[in-house]
Amino acid sequence: MPLKQDVPWYKLAIIYQAHVRTFYDSNGDGVGDFQGLDQKLDYLQELGINTIWLMPFFPSPLRDDGYDISDYYSVHSSYGTLEDFRTFLKSAHARQIRVIIEMVLNHTSDQHPWFQQSRSSRENPRRDWYVWRDTDTGYPEARIIFLDTELSNWAWDPISKSYYWHRFFSHQPDLNYDNPAVREEIWNVMKFWLEIGVDGFRLDAVPYLVEREDTNCENLPETHGILKELRRKLDEQFPGRMLLAEANQWPADLRPYFADGNEFHMAFHFPLMPRMFMGVKLEDRKPITEILQQTPEIPPSCQWCLFLRNHDELTLEMLTTVERDYMNDTYAQDKEMRLNLGIRRRLAPLLDNDRRRIELMHGILMSLPGTPNIYYGDEIGMGDNTKLGDRNGVRTPMQWSGGWNGGFSAAEAEKLYAPLIQDPVYGYPAVNVVSQKKTEHSLLNWIGHIIAVRKTTSVFGAGSIEFLYPANHRILAYVRQLDNETILVVNNLSNAAQAVELDLRRHKGNILIEMFGKNIFPRVGDLPYLLTLGPYQFYWFRLRRI
Amino acid sequence: MAEAKLAEESVLTDDLLRQLINVGEVDILVGVPTHNNAKTIGTIVETIRDGILKFFPRERAAIINADGGSRDGTPELIANAAIDDARPNSKLYTLRTFHSISTQYASNPARGTALRTIMAAAELLRARACAVISPESTQITADWLTTLLRPIYTEEFDLVLPTYSRHRFDGILLTNLLYPMTRALYGLKIREPYALDFAFSGRLGSQFLTQNAWHDGTAQTGSETQLTLAAIAGEYRICQSFLGTKEHGERHSADLVPAMRQTVGALFSSLDPNFSSWNARTGSQPIPTTGDVREFTLEPLRLNRKRLREMFSTGIAELESVFQSILSPSTLAELQQIARAENVPFRYSAELWVKTVYEFAAAYHKSVISRDHIIQALAPLFRGRAFTFLAENSNGSAADVENNIEGLCLEFERTKPYLLEIWKR
Repeated sequence: MPLKQDVPWYKLAIIYQAHVRTFYDSNGDGVGDFQGLDQKLDYLQELGINTIWLMPFFPSPLRDDGYDISDYYSVHSSYGTLEDFRTFLKSAHARQIRVIIEMVLNHTSDQHPWFQQSRSSRENPRRDWYVWRDTDTGYPEARIIFLDTELSNWAWDPISKSYYWHRFFSHQPDLNYDNPAVREEIWNVMKFWLEIGVDGFRLDAVPYLVEREDTNCENLPETHGILKELRRKLDEQFPGRMLLAEANQWPADLRPYFADGNEFHMAFHFPLMPRMFMGVKLEDRKPITEILQQTPEIPPSCQWCLFLRNHDELTLEMLTTVERDYMNDTYAQDKEMRLNLGIRRRLAPLLDNDRRRIELMHGILMSLPGTPNIYYGDEIGMGDNTKLGDRNGVRTPMQWSGGWNGGFSAAEAEKLYAPLIQDPVYGYPAVNVVSQKKTEHSLLNWIGHIIAVRKTTSVFGAGSIEFLYPANHRILAYVRQLDNETILVVNNLSNAAQAVELDLRRHKGNILIEMFGKNIFPRVGDLPYLLTLGPYQFYWFRLRRI
Repeated sequence: MAEAKLAEESVLTDDLLRQLINVGEVDILVGVPTHNNAKTIGTIVETIRDGILKFFPRERAAIINADGGSRDGTPELIANAAIDDARPNSKLYTLRTFHSISTQYASNPARGTALRTIMAAAELLRARACAVISPESTQITADWLTTLLRPIYTEEFDLVLPTYSRHRFDGILLTNLLYPMTRALYGLKIREPYALDFAFSGRLGSQFLTQNAWHDGTAQTGSETQLTLAAIAGEYRICQSFLGTKEHGERHSADLVPAMRQTVGALFSSLDPNFSSWNARTGSQPIPTTGDVREFTLEPLRLNRKRLREMFSTGIAELESVFQSILSPSTLAELQQIARAENVPFRYSAELWVKTVYEFAAAYHKSVISRDHIIQALAPLFRGRAFTFLAENSNGSAADVENNIEGLCLEFERTKPYLLEIWKR
């Protein structure tokens, strides 16, 4: 079945989230760099991904792993030069791999010259580039996001003897988007990188751009206005480029970020992610189907971005208290695994390194409506290190081989930006790319296979979804359809074999072709279609009327 | 042929099997046997569901209704309690899918078959704890679910029997026969050995399912009592939990014989297979009791004492030849004397009552006549004992009544050697 030509590229994308620092160190200084990333593009191409999302690589004091930017127009010296980035980008494009970069709009580092000027005096022209007050009492309804470290959204600045507003760490002052000069400068930043050739931006923390009294300062109409303006300029000057929203919000609050197809192209579906984990633990599809039932329709040109894990904690913000307690008790029994309102663990440890569950979760990720995002290292089942502070435990060096420093760097081990995972189960001698490449049925090769199967059709990226509701609640089943192409997906969320009867009468006369092995299953008739599935097994069937 | 026989013997219809496959493994199962209970069952099932969601929000739980052929929509009302993604309940939050399924096992109600169906489902679903709630328990509260299930789920008890706050004259068959005799024989102070609201563990349920009584039909009547006795005989861990008030439903004299078949019949029939379990026990021990026992104000009970005495006297006269087969001459003579007495107060003493009951049990054991006739013949004598019990306690407080019951229990224990003596005779 040929891929549809009129589907936007980001709908058919398979995104690989990488951090330059963590991926590959080409010069032996213990820190990953763009030349190293460039050298590993063959690996990513072979894996089958077609889009890379790069975490912040700009100059930064690195107090929040680069999300505290001190210069938007350059590359952090540890990662190389702007020229290195250009070379990497060209290499990626040559392999038909698009590159999305992270853009932190909401705040800068307190080391950014803009902030240094702003705090220097109340008369400084950049004074109004940030949000200043004489008291710390403004916007009391805004929640504190980093509960474990921050007591207030206001921080005292001893230099200018006033308070500045920050939604995240206190060393990350929020930009003042009520100031037109700020808005103009941010567009200049984006334009700078678009002209270099990036294919899109993952815009960080977008709900918080604007503050207003008597609100929670999230998702405000003024914020949407600013984002729409950025999108208008993008479409006018750089058609075909893409904006991806990071907005950890409920579905109804997320919907406005798509507006009428004129704000974001894509947005992460944050509430779905923890419910996938909950569904597998409960062996019940209810959390997953319920959140998707609550998810509003989005404009045809827009797309959800789905993920299992990323560089942050597994956020539990978009859960009820009962659900959050359940998740903590089942996935983070050790308090050390908890951070803010989330769980700082990688995919494989979360799933007890159970290959069947890891495969099932990827099967769901790749078959629900949306564009899948794979976090670096999860394709080989890397582990985490909860002894490292903040979220650094899930940002350890990529494990390329069982050799020196896991093949990540030639530096002395103590010079690495972070220690490698070394435990017996997840450590680099046991879990690495080289050994998994040699093993036909390794997780790495399996992930490559499922990506390849997904890429045989446009249905998963652009098709509609219709849930089947078999009486067996452990079975998550849905039909994906695009034009005359139909795919049936059946997932067993249970650790035991299951029998399920599916009502497929609408598809009577079709035969089912299992998409991985291409085997034929019986024709759909009038009776309920009986399937049996092994523990955590899933099927993708192409429906064919032959 | 063998397969056909197997299907014939199974209590599980194909439809039920299909439903059980969909429910899958559960931690908690609540069985509700019904027959035309539409007037009350909706509220009861909602309370059960609320109790599970309140006290076991994370556990895999389900309700199963074993229905004896209702024609008033009872099964549908039970099925409506389900909560799933196809039928979300906007007023109730559940972490997971909540199944509420129903099956009809026959066109006629049979509590034994209902319990067997529930037990079979509990075994197939690998339920750790299963509660059975009577469709007439309109006084149920959400707390019942934790009261009945928690001892099994977290404390590894195997059988949880209820205790209730009853009117002092409610349950005379219980206080004058079932409780004291069970206590005397098996050595455990189980206040409600014939329970309609109770809970059992997966392992007790599985063991009980395998007993031959299902196949020879004896378990069809009094299956709840037999479950209690099987738990005692098998030395399973038993406790009792306080459930609150027990409301006495409207009863008619015609209800007595069926009730005695269910209870006394089950108790008598268990004595043969369990002989080794009860013959050597002396005295009695309390069993663990959970729940806060509270006193409630109960509606006065209206009993027609005159009618009881009349039925006793009529029974003594009409069933003389039957009693001659069952009772010793001395016991029969004493009973006839009581029945004839006109100018002295009627009194069926505790000593004579215990002796009577034990002689009936021995006769049942020896099957001197039809066992069902033996149970039926006990009914008029019980009425005489009930008359005396009411007369002796008419001015007594609840504590006084309780003391008298305790005295009767001790009499049953003291006279137990007599039962053993006539048992072997």
